[in-house]
Amino acid sequence: MADLPLSAALPAAPLRTKRRRLALPALLTVIALTLVLGAPELLPTYLVNTLIRAFLYAAVAITVDVLWGYTGILTFGQSAFFGMGAYAAGLVFTHLGFSPGMALFALAAGVAVAMLVAALLGWLAFYPGASPLYGSVMTLVLPIVVSQLLYSGGNFTGSSSGLSGFESFDLSIEAWFRIAGVFLVVLTGAVWLFVRSDGGKILEAIRDNEQRCEYLGINVSRVKVVLMIACAGIAAVAGFLFACVQMVVAPEYAGFVFGTELLMWVALGGRGTLIGPVLGTLVLDVTTSYLSGSLPFLWKLLSGLAFVIVIVALPQGFTPALWSSMKRWRRQAAAPLAALELQTAEPRPLAGLQGAGRHALALQDVRKNFGSLQVLQGISFHADPHELLSLVGPNGAGKTTLMRCIADGAERSAGKLWLNDHEIKRAPPFACVALGAGRKFQNANVFETLTVAQAMRVARTRHARPSLWRRSAVLPLPAAALQVMQATGLDQHLNLPASELSHGMKQALELAMVMALEPSVLLLDEPTAGLTKPERTLIGQILVDLTREHALCVLLVEHDLDFVREISSRVIVLHQGRIVLDGTVDEVVQSELVRAVYAGGAHAGSS
Amino acid sequence: MTLLLDMLTTAAILYGVAAGLLIVFGVMKIINFAHGAFLTVGGYAALLVTAMGWNPWWSLPCAFVVGAVCGMAVERLVMRPLYSRPLDAILATWGLGIVIGQCITLTLGRGVQFVQSPVTGAVALFGTTYSEYRLLLVPVVLCVVAALGWVLNGTRLGLMTRAVIMNEELARSLGINSALVRFATFSVGAGLAGLAGALITPLSSVDPNMGVPWLVSAFMIVMVSGVSLVSLGVACLVLGSAQVLVSSWANPILGGLTIVVLAALVLRFRPEGFARG
Repeated sequence: MADLPLSAALPAAPLRTKRRRLALPALLTVIALTLVLGAPELLPTYLVNTLIRAFLYAAVAITVDVLWGYTGILTFGQSAFFGMGAYAAGLVFTHLGFSPGMALFALAAGVAVAMLVAALLGWLAFYPGASPLYGSVMTLVLPIVVSQLLYSGGNFTGSSSGLSGFESFDLSIEAWFRIAGVFLVVLTGAVWLFVRSDGGKILEAIRDNEQRCEYLGINVSRVKVVLMIACAGIAAVAGFLFACVQMVVAPEYAGFVFGTELLMWVALGGRGTLIGPVLGTLVLDVTTSYLSGSLPFLWKLLSGLAFVIVIVALPQGFTPALWSSMKRWRRQAAAPLAALELQTAEPRPLAGLQGAGRHALALQDVRKNFGSLQVLQGISFHADPHELLSLVGPNGAGKTTLMRCIADGAERSAGKLWLNDHEIKRAPPFACVALGAGRKFQNANVFETLTVAQAMRVARTRHARPSLWRRSAVLPLPAAALQVMQATGLDQHLNLPASELSHGMKQALELAMVMALEPSVLLLDEPTAGLTKPERTLIGQILVDLTREHALCVLLVEHDLDFVREISSRVIVLHQGRIVLDGTVDEVVQSELVRAVYAGGAHAGSS
Repeated sequence: MTLLLDMLTTAAILYGVAAGLLIVFGVMKIINFAHGAFLTVGGYAALLVTAMGWNPWWSLPCAFVVGAVCGMAVERLVMRPLYSRPLDAILATWGLGIVIGQCITLTLGRGVQFVQSPVTGAVALFGTTYSEYRLLLVPVVLCVVAALGWVLNGTRLGLMTRAVIMNEELARSLGINSALVRFATFSVGAGLAGLAGALITPLSSVDPNMGVPWLVSAFMIVMVSGVSLVSLGVACLVLGSAQVLVSSWANPILGGLTIVVLAALVLRFRPEGFARG
């Protein structure tokens, strides 16, 4: 299979659009750096002082934005990491004295402690199956614990009055302004590259649909923990700089109220953008410090009110709202999205496994109970490559439950299960994907805000590790995924967000994503539900091709018996959690038992 | 002996504070971070009642009514659009807490004030003397629980509420006005917060931020107790006792952390918390 140029893009086009894509941000960065380096002499001292603090706060706000705006983890805990960095400086300079070496030690210690704590927090908050609310609760607990420990630290931490009067770098305010400003600009630029890169799209995929990510073989918990650790490190650096400039640290900086304040800045500025939280922090913090003298309570009241209104009425914040109203009149000028070339990837089925086993799928006495209700009562069968096995049975027979048990090791109550001769034990979904399982859900389960191309690349994460700072102009996909995309016309809509696709197209996109995993056992739960007759025939044809040409073992749950008859090579009839028949299509069609089961009244033992 | 009584009364106080949060969470699946502010409102209601020279007992019903009225306004104006966005609801109610706190600061000042207690003095009990008011809290909270239980299990509104808790979609399709149920729940939850605020003020003092530490404890307790009044009781007894023990054997600051840390650990290893066992 040679490269398959599917898009009509000229070879030079991607390069040109890429340059244009980078031009504006590069220009903005240069302007920002010039401002930061040139401004301190021109501004009043009080403003310079305030801005230094605001720059550092904005750096922390960016980490909040990455976690909350991009990845969907509502975190109250970034203040704690900021406090750790600040206290590292404060404690070291107070108790061990100041020297450049000591400063370096304090920075390293602060960052290391913050990252360690973040790893611990991540382990607590993001275990597989944890609810998002639970994760947020944990991030809420952290700053409370840290600030209370600081309060109870006596003379060592300075208790409620904190530490002050320690020696620090002997630098002018202007120099600090430049350091803090450059730190913020560089951080913003780096994070900008990251969140727009192919790898950064995984964050938005997690925000959109965590479950789909798991079933695309992405270890979501690990991604979240790593992200948490990185963000903690950045917040600690900001805290360290803060302590060096202000020469004072207090427990409030590690507290829960500061954590919520960060959220307010990000929410008002615009979560899921980078410029929004930065501007939000700068504007709000500077205004606060100017107004805190004249009308402190009224200002706090107004900002609280603004926060409530924004959350209720304008959840995306001010910047995106402004942006979209600006876009309306500059629509024509908008640069075309970078053209993307689809390619055929080297087939690597079962990457990392030692070839296909004896059976693609084997079950032995699999059971599932919900309380005292036995939904699956000892299912045993095996299926081989090239088989298209249909699971049929009336509602409540346990078909979908069986699918769940195959794709997630934690689901079943008892029994053993092998994928390609590897016992899955209690493996979470992403590990089952590594063993060859690919599951398509009953309802189209896609990433609503990601484009078709982005979603496909996320689906390829396991095979082709995406870059963390670049966007690739080519998208290599396995032949089977390409076939699905071409047959359904998805390849014509690569830059369309999934939310704008029709229901049938979404189903096709999900199927294509699952095919991009190069599974050896394909689990399909009513793939044709809600589709038109032509779409249904098309998907049926694709499934038959897949089993024939790509040595797939397909397990299909279907209510439409005509559809089953057309494409299956084997049928299993489930009834009340037991297998009542396992045979060819003809055997099943002619079976009295099956007729009785569907007519109702038959019981599983009656054969 | 004092220690045992401390545990019992602490659990009672925690129960009073957390009950309102629990019913809102149970019905709406929403964490009301303005709960702390409603608590503060209740505290100030008690302050005003005693300042006007009324019998301090009046502060309890007044605080309930004031809290409930606040809750009604908030539900109408803020909560409606947020039911489908539970994480945003946390943030919005937190913002609301700030707004309420600042309103109180602007009108009543930010100073710490003290409220007259309805009963003073101590009683001799089991060989020790103990604060009469703290002891009185136990039957008062039990009355509140009984009233809540009666409303939930003995009235039509309670039946509708339980239906909404179990399956809102189905309840709505059966013609239950779930918007009304939410409205009533949120108001009662806020009212209970106000009541709790009035109950705890004689023990400490009143200031615009008095609700925040209580909010955090109540929040964690609700997280571990699921949506049952019984498991809430168990959680309050266990965690409240732990807090008292740590406070008296180690130090009060660590004691303040006990509930939060223990609840977090309980949730990690037993996500259903104290529910069902």
